[in-house]
Amino acid sequence: MDIVQLAAGKTLSSSAVFLLLTVLLLAAARRVSTSIILFGLQSAIITAQVMATAYTEKSAEAWVVAGMVFALKVVAIPSALLWLVKRLKSPRAVQPAISGAKAVFVAAFMIFLSYAVVQPYAREASVPQDALAAAVALILTGAFLMVNRRKALMQIVGLLVLENGIFLAALTTTFGMPLIVEIGVFFDLLMGILIMGVFAFRIRDTFDHLDVTKLRRLRG
Amino acid sequence: MMLLLPLLIPILGAGILLGFGAHGRARLLALVVGGVEIVAILRVVLTVYSSGPVQFGRFLRADGLSAFFLLNIAVISGLALVYSLDYLRHVEGQRFSSARWFYTLLFFFVFTMIGVCLSANLGLLWIMMEATTLASALLVGFYNTRGAIEAGWKYLIVCTVGIAFALFGTIVLYLAAIKSGLSPAVALDWTALMAAPRLGSEVALLKLAFVFVIVGYGTKVGFVPMHSWLPDAHAEAPSPISALLSGVLLNCAMYTLLRYDAIVSRAIGATFSHTLLLIFGVLSLVVAGLLIVVQRDLKRMLAYSSVEHMGIVAIGIGLGGPLGLYGALLHTFNHSLGKTLLFFAAGNVRENFGTLRMDRIGGLARSLPKTALALTLGSLAIVGLPPFALFVSEFAILSEAFAQSRIWVATLFLATLSVVFGGMFHHLSGMFYRDMQQSPAAKRLALSEAVPIAIIAVGLTWFGVHVPAAFKGLIERAMAVL
Amino acid sequence: MTMLIHILQALLIVLGAPLLRGVVSKMKARIQRRQGASIWRPYADLGKLFRKEDLAPPLASPVFRIAPRIVFSATVVAALLIPLFRPSALLGGPGDFLLLVYLLALARFFLVLGAMDGGGAFGGMGGSREVLVSALAEAPFLLGIIAVAIVARSTELAGIVGWTLHENFFDVSAVHILAFTTLAMVAIAETGRIPVDNPTAHLELTMIHEAMVLEHSGPSLAFLEWANSVKLGLIMSFLIGLFLPWGMATSASMPSIALSVGIYLIKMLALAMVLALVESSVAKMRMYAVPDFLGIASATGVLAVVFTVFGGK
Repeated sequence: MDIVQLAAGKTLSSSAVFLLLTVLLLAAARRVSTSIILFGLQSAIITAQVMATAYTEKSAEAWVVAGMVFALKVVAIPSALLWLVKRLKSPRAVQPAISGAKAVFVAAFMIFLSYAVVQPYAREASVPQDALAAAVALILTGAFLMVNRRKALMQIVGLLVLENGIFLAALTTTFGMPLIVEIGVFFDLLMGILIMGVFAFRIRDTFDHLDVTKLRRLRG
Repeated sequence: MMLLLPLLIPILGAGILLGFGAHGRARLLALVVGGVEIVAILRVVLTVYSSGPVQFGRFLRADGLSAFFLLNIAVISGLALVYSLDYLRHVEGQRFSSARWFYTLLFFFVFTMIGVCLSANLGLLWIMMEATTLASALLVGFYNTRGAIEAGWKYLIVCTVGIAFALFGTIVLYLAAIKSGLSPAVALDWTALMAAPRLGSEVALLKLAFVFVIVGYGTKVGFVPMHSWLPDAHAEAPSPISALLSGVLLNCAMYTLLRYDAIVSRAIGATFSHTLLLIFGVLSLVVAGLLIVVQRDLKRMLAYSSVEHMGIVAIGIGLGGPLGLYGALLHTFNHSLGKTLLFFAAGNVRENFGTLRMDRIGGLARSLPKTALALTLGSLAIVGLPPFALFVSEFAILSEAFAQSRIWVATLFLATLSVVFGGMFHHLSGMFYRDMQQSPAAKRLALSEAVPIAIIAVGLTWFGVHVPAAFKGLIERAMAVL
Repeated sequence: MTMLIHILQALLIVLGAPLLRGVVSKMKARIQRRQGASIWRPYADLGKLFRKEDLAPPLASPVFRIAPRIVFSATVVAALLIPLFRPSALLGGPGDFLLLVYLLALARFFLVLGAMDGGGAFGGMGGSREVLVSALAEAPFLLGIIAVAIVARSTELAGIVGWTLHENFFDVSAVHILAFTTLAMVAIAETGRIPVDNPTAHLELTMIHEAMVLEHSGPSLAFLEWANSVKLGLIMSFLIGLFLPWGMATSASMPSIALSVGIYLIKMLALAMVLALVESSVAKMRMYAVPDFLGIASATGVLAVVFTVFGGK
């Protein structure tokens, strides 16, 4: 086996661990900008995984998808979000509902949960257990971030992490869906972020803050 | 080619409106585009009705089921378009909030919903469903008030998360298809999945997929407990948009569930998926029905009524059988008519009273007699009384429940309907006959608002008395697909 | 021959510790675009201190004088447990990682005792903070080592190092990555570097270790400073030995020993560079944030142990 093949194999098996580390760090992150950078890092790891898959499966489509993931989730969306953070000029620290070490314990528990959930399926679907568990952990973390953090921007980051998890799950189980579908999904994601950005501006303009827990006027 | 037209026209129309729609020409342009669009859709519907499914390329397909829902889209969007001509005259020209933007977004929204109905590929279906959320979010937040923005944000976030789960479900289904031998190129094609010989062997994966799909797309339908966005969004949006959301978008989401249900039922038998549908249906029906009684805002109450009726549709599908399915499909159409009528009337109330809080509205019977009449008719219809159309569809579903000896379902159904009737009657009588100090500022019902209301009222009565044979035929073709 | 190597390891750590301190400070200075003091400066400092008078506050007990000596001895004995360039050390045996942790704890205990005995306000304050940090750091310390020990199926430090030596570098396992994260965080807390404690600060708000040694002088202070440097060197070698041991000599021949010494020095230099970079780029955390920091280390440690069950690769 040549060195690239070896590297590709190793990338696939070890990147799951790095993704889990980003999960823990995301739970502990306190500023929105840190979370955005962590998301970019996650997407970079996933890009590496896509490229490794593309190499081992010899699929040209996968290279295109890797390029799209990189362009969109590593470059475009994080920079757009960071620009948004700067423009919105909101106070830096996010006061989450569960903070610091407790949040990291919750994240660790979620990782444990994802492994437990994935065990029976992974054996049946002959899929690397780590990668699938990492995907599930990402989904759970995304949901946790959306519920835990109070700022509108953090909800967007949580959503992005969730989508990352789903994409990774697709990647590990089926090596990706047909190219057209992938392109459509990415496009939707991009438009979604755009519109959420518009809404974030509106929230800030109308409410003078970005604390979504204060958006509770409509009840019942 | 014919299938492309209903998709191209709204997109082009949106573009034209964006470019040339300033200075009050927006309404005229919108009317023209809308008219052409409706003709295109009707053409597709008639073709499918007379000569069977039409396929275009690998991704677009119209069969009986799509035709039925396309008809729904055409009718309601046409009515909403006409209604909005006068309704928007009070809109200020903020960024993203002028008449021009309204119609641009509206046509984009219609485009996405037609795309949902015309998708042959589950991946494209997902993309279009997500696009409906994106397209309508800006419409929900159109008024730019605090409530509208909050509603729009909640709508955006909750539905995007839901649809992300639906994506996961689609991926699992894709995985199951590939494992059972389908080639990746067709593993997301609905017709191929319906015909897949060995799909039934992947029981666990299919069940997992359907659970995620029903939770995900069920969020868009408004099933309890994923319904939290619905009352806000439907209440805060402008009334024609509320009509489209309640009347059409919920139906499109239900259409999606029908497609997935068909695949799963064919592969592993209908018990699993139908049980889930029944559970969600009964839950939505009961919870929403009970919440209607305590509502204080008119449109919010109507929104909960939509949740309740989607529950009824889900029960119909979950029961299965010829009557159940027939009732469910008929109900989607009837409910959209009735709900649209109610939202239009509510819109007029808001225009004249400036508020939708039911305890602040009074003397409606005297000051806005025509609107009051519309509200009465609509409420009677929505509660399911004869001679209106909803009675027919609900009766069909109820009969199916009795035929299958599902006494609990039938009992809950009837009990909730009674509660809803009582609640709405109480609210409405308050609005009609309460003594108010001053009468509303303006008292008018513009022609463009009155006409759609009248049309719907007539339609509801007509369908209630006798469902036209052609329409029945359409439904039957839809059922045959499943 | 083996005995000679072990003695060489011990001497290198103990005698080379001040040099390590000097190198790290020099690197930090260079990164911050300063000239910085010479790398041999800590030796000069030690020499100066040993020649000075050993003053004690009038109310202090004999503990005040004895404590620094005990601290130094405990730290040196702990250093004798670490394999540097051979997968074996002067002292060792099954379960010796517990000995390591608790020798360091003993040293710390006496350090705090000596500080409190001095009777000054700073001593008590620094002591209480140090105890807080060490109490929180003990759990992740043990968890991290235990996780690695389970994977390596050995409770001897030398045994763990030997096992890792035979593993392929590219077969990096989840357990190791998590354990490394945990132990790196613990290392920062144990050695009192930024972001837990600032070794160069003398402001009341930011001192932990410095507050405790404030009252000591002369040879006592020299022993404490030396012990601190030895601790830094020992923990760094510990991290390198546990996670990056490749390059260690597997045979006792002269050339391989020489090679492994050279590789060891290079690794230490690299780690010192990383430490200097981290210290220059991160700000010291507020005292309230330190429990959070160590809580994260604990969570990661727990996860590392949990992962030994799942056996991810």
